[in-house]
This record gives sequence, C-alpha cells and structure tokens, in this order.
Amino acid sequence: MGNTKKYAYDYDDYDAGKGPSTMVEEILADPEFPQVTELVIGSWGSACEDDCQEILDGIIANKERFAHVDSLFIGDMDYEECEVSWILQGNYSALWAAMPQLKELTIKGSMDLELGEICHENLESLAIICGGLPVSVIRSIQKAKLPCLKKLVLYIGIDNYGFDGDADTIRTFLEESDFPKLEYLGIEDSEIQDELAEVVLNSKYMSRIHTLDLANGTLTDRGGQLLLEKIPMYPNIRVLDLHYHYMSDEMGEKLKALPARVDVSDPNEQEEYDGEIWMNAMLTE
Amino acid sequence: MRQILLLGNPGTKRTVYLEAGAREAGVALRLLDWKTWQKDRRQMAGDGAAAGIFLKIDPPLWDSCRLDELDILVRGYEEELEVLASLEGEQKLTFLNHPEAIICLLDKRGCKRCLQSRGIPVTETLLESVSHSEQLLEAMEREQMSQVFLKPVRGSGAAGAAAFRYQRKTGQMVLYTCSMEDPDTGRLVNTKRLRRFTDRKQILSLVRRLTALDCLAERWYPKAEHKGYSYDLRAVVQDGQVDFLLSRLSRGPLTNLHLNNHPLSARELGLPSRIWEETEELCRTAAGCFRGLRSTGMDILLEKGSLRPRVIEMNGQGDLIYQDIYDENKIYRHQAEMMKEWLYGKT
Repeated sequence: MGNTKKYAYDYDDYDAGKGPSTMVEEILADPEFPQVTELVIGSWGSACEDDCQEILDGIIANKERFAHVDSLFIGDMDYEECEVSWILQGNYSALWAAMPQLKELTIKGSMDLELGEICHENLESLAIICGGLPVSVIRSIQKAKLPCLKKLVLYIGIDNYGFDGDADTIRTFLEESDFPKLEYLGIEDSEIQDELAEVVLNSKYMSRIHTLDLANGTLTDRGGQLLLEKIPMYPNIRVLDLHYHYMSDEMGEKLKALPARVDVSDPNEQEEYDGEIWMNAMLTE
Repeated sequence: MRQILLLGNPGTKRTVYLEAGAREAGVALRLLDWKTWQKDRRQMAGDGAAAGIFLKIDPPLWDSCRLDELDILVRGYEEELEVLASLEGEQKLTFLNHPEAIICLLDKRGCKRCLQSRGIPVTETLLESVSHSEQLLEAMEREQMSQVFLKPVRGSGAAGAAAFRYQRKTGQMVLYTCSMEDPDTGRLVNTKRLRRFTDRKQILSLVRRLTALDCLAERWYPKAEHKGYSYDLRAVVQDGQVDFLLSRLSRGPLTNLHLNNHPLSARELGLPSRIWEETEELCRTAAGCFRGLRSTGMDILLEKGSLRPRVIEMNGQGDLIYQDIYDENKIYRHQAEMMKEWLYGKT
C-alpha cells in the first residue's frame, strides 16, 4: 500500500481566494508530501469555472519534487462539489515525459481534456471517469505507446456530455490499440452498453485479460445473453464486473453461475414514459 | 386526576410506539384524535382540567402531494396550534413541546434567524426570500455561490426542495428536485423520486414555480461522504440529551428519509471523536435555543473535508425514527419517562 494523500479545496478555501494557481505551491509546502506516493487532487475550489491546467503545469515545472509520486488522480470530486460533466480538465501532453515513474493515472472529467501523444514506459493503469468521452481522447489512447499498461478503464458516457462516437469508435479503438500486457479492460458507463459488450467480446483482448468490466451502463438481458454465450470460451476471465445494470434477476443468476467472480449488484429498472423506454448510465444522471 | 394526552392520529406509528413506551413506563396515555379533538376536548375538560393536563401534539395527517395545498395546510395547522397555545390560559396545561415552539420551527426562515442570532453554525442563507429566478441568479453571481438549495419556508422533508447549480461562465444549469409540474393540471406536485433537469428553459420554469411558494435560498455545501455515498445526520434531542443520531446516506443531493435513502447508525461512520463531540454539543445547544421545546429532530450537515457540523433545519415534531421504533424505541420511551416524571415527580 502506498502512502495516499488528498489535497482539495472547499468553499471557504475558494472564498479565501485559493484555486488551481495555489494548489501545487500548497502541496509542495506540505511537510508530509515527500512521503506521499499516491497523490489525489480533489476539487480545486472552482472546478466548474477554472480548468486544472495550472495544476498540471505546476507539477511539470516541479517534476523533480513529484518524482516519488507513482499514482496520480486529478479531479477526485463527486456531484456534491461539481457536476462530473462540468469539471474542466486540462492538457496532459507534457505530463507523460515529466512523470516517467508514474504507474497509475486517474482522470475525472472530460471537458477540455487533451491527452496529446501518449508515450510512457511504466504506466500500468489508466482510468478516465467522465460523463462523455470525446473521440479525440479515445484516439489519443488508441495511438498510445503504453507497453506496461495492465488496466484500462474508460467511462464512455453520452453525447450530451461529450461522447461524440458510436460502437464503431470503440471497435476501431480495440482493434488499433496495442497494450500487450493488458489484464483489466473496463468499457463502462455507456448508454449503448449492450452494443459495446458485443464489440468488446469480439476484441483481441478477450483472450488476454483476466477482468472484464462492463459496469455502470445500460447492460440489459441482451448483453447478458452475449456474455453467457461467450465467457465460457475464455477461461482466462476470472472477474466479470457488471454492477449497475438493467438485467433481470434471472439473467443475473445465470451469469453468477459462470466460472468467474461475477458482480451483478445494483440492478436498475427501466422506466416507461410517453411510450418510450428510459435507461440511464450511472454517471449521466 | 392529572391526565396525559396525545393529540394525534389513531393507528399511526407515532401513536402506536408512544403508546408502547407509555405502557412500559406504566403511564396512562389518552389519545385525542385530530379529527374529533375539539369535541372530545370539551368532554375531558371537566375531569382533567382542574388537576392538570400534559399534552403532546403530533402533526395531523396530510395526504396532499400538491405543493400549493401543502402550504395552505401548514398555515391552517399553525392556526390550530395557536388555538392550542391559547388554551394554556383556560386550563392547567403542560406541553411536551409548546405549540408556539412548534410554530416557530415550522418556519425555516425564523428558525435559522434564531439559531444564527445565538451564534449557532447553520447552512448559510443566500436569500431569505426568493421572489424570482433573475434575482436568484444575480445573487448567486454576486456572492460567487455556484450551487444553492431552494426550500419552501414552510415545507417539510424534501417537499418542494430543489438543489440548483449554475455555471456562470457557460450559463449551464442543473436542478435536482422531487417536485414536478403535473402534466394534466400544470400544478406543482411532490413525488418520491429525485429527478435531474438540465434544460435551461425547463429549469427556469420550475424555479419560477418553486419560488412562488415562498422559498429561501441557502448555500449548498458539499456533504461528507461515506463509501461513495454522501450523507447528513438526523439527530433527536430530548430534554438536553441526544437520544438518537442517524446518518442518511444518499446518491443524490437531497437526503431525506422519505426518499428511500439508506440509513446507517452514525456510530458506523467511524467519525473522529472530536467531530462526534462537536456535533452532539451543537445539537444540544441548538435544541436549547427554543423555549418550550423539549423534543426536537434536527438535520445536521457535516461539510465535506473539514466535517464541520452545521444545522440545516429543525423540526418540533421530528421524533419519528424508524430505526429506533423497530429497535429499542428509545425516543418514545424517553418521552414516556418525561410524562411519568410530570405525574409523579422525579423518582
């Protein structure tokens, strides 16, 4: 276990004039910081008003003093602090070279998010949690050179919050990307979760990974049935994370009988309104 | 002979569990039904009046979900409470909670003013009265407050409350509420489901409707979080003692026990003892601010990060906690003890 510390500003800090421009300075002034290996940055006081570029730039400018950090989370905040879809992110292009020791990177929010050209020898885990993942970001990851990447989690989200692709975008992504060490694949929080389940189940990664994560989306019995048919072909799959879904109890029971650890907790019910069926992915409502 | 009376509603949980507590304490409790109390009161005046009456007032039953009607019902209720208060002059009456204290707490604006004047930390008010949405947006901009709660001054629970967020730079808005416009009548109704709106026109229309109910706007503080849920606390304080402290976990900004949020014993939150003590002290002090208030339920916010406690609101009839009645029934047992003490003095 690493030594985790979260730095965040609340209302009073924000009122007192603190923001993204003061965050790095404060982190560096903290006597505990040299022992911190897992750095979590929560709200920068005005995450809906100001992007976090100054924080990223501050880390890059002081990269030697962040050299002991091997896990970084930028934007750890919930709906109480800011709508996830409103969090203003930044450009990470220069971060890859500045933090070569980094093993884990988690980013929450996708507005104004740019990853640039990704080339990193040591990164093992990359997660993007958001209400809608822009195709530009997906393309960056698709071309990424991440030879050690073991875990990839992408919240796909919805078009209203920035996802401007479709199932084909994800199909191409899985075909073109190259993560030779991938063990954990999460394509989640989608409103086309059944379609994405099909795309993932037909991807090259299925024979390599031990964990398949299709959680937080609108997975229905249709997707469940596909999983029932395909998962037995991949004895390498040890964990199937499907929590937050729209499947029936019967389907949940059938899936639990698969030879893997299956999480079908947090079932949701479809709503009918004006003759239409409504389902929501977790981070879109 | 001295009498102990409950003005309430037969067969409800409030009545049944207070009766259970009274039985256990060996106290004879007589129920006056809200529906017929005026008539029954005259009957009982003869035998009980001279020796004295101890009266607990439970809220009447309301079944309307229309918010404009609820407002009228609360106003009618206040008038009945005033009648009850006036009886004090005619009879030897002792109240568990004095009707004037109940009235005082029915008004969120007055309750907050009173607490604030005593230096009690409360959730900050942006506008004591919101008359229209433009005024609200201006105030939010002026105070750099990007998120607020709108609450009907006389509402109870989440009825008519809304969490509103406004991004000044982009003009984006989000509103969470359980209220919605009835598609048939166009009237505002309260539902048990939290909805999220993002369409500016729809939001402004809802805000207009809500502000017509006499609303205050207060700062929406990010609430503390426990295992991925945000929570606030519900405390019951009786005779200077914190009898119950419950956390209400939720995945939406409106935490209320009526919204099927997930309750958890506050002890299980693993709060540092310093926060625990500070919160209990705050509850006791807040309860002590109102004359004639011996039993109160209050909602307490712990700010995310610092865990600083603040009073969100108080209720002079907030003593019904399912997690207690189905367990030890401590709250109503304590009330029965208070009644017993009134009858026989401290034993």
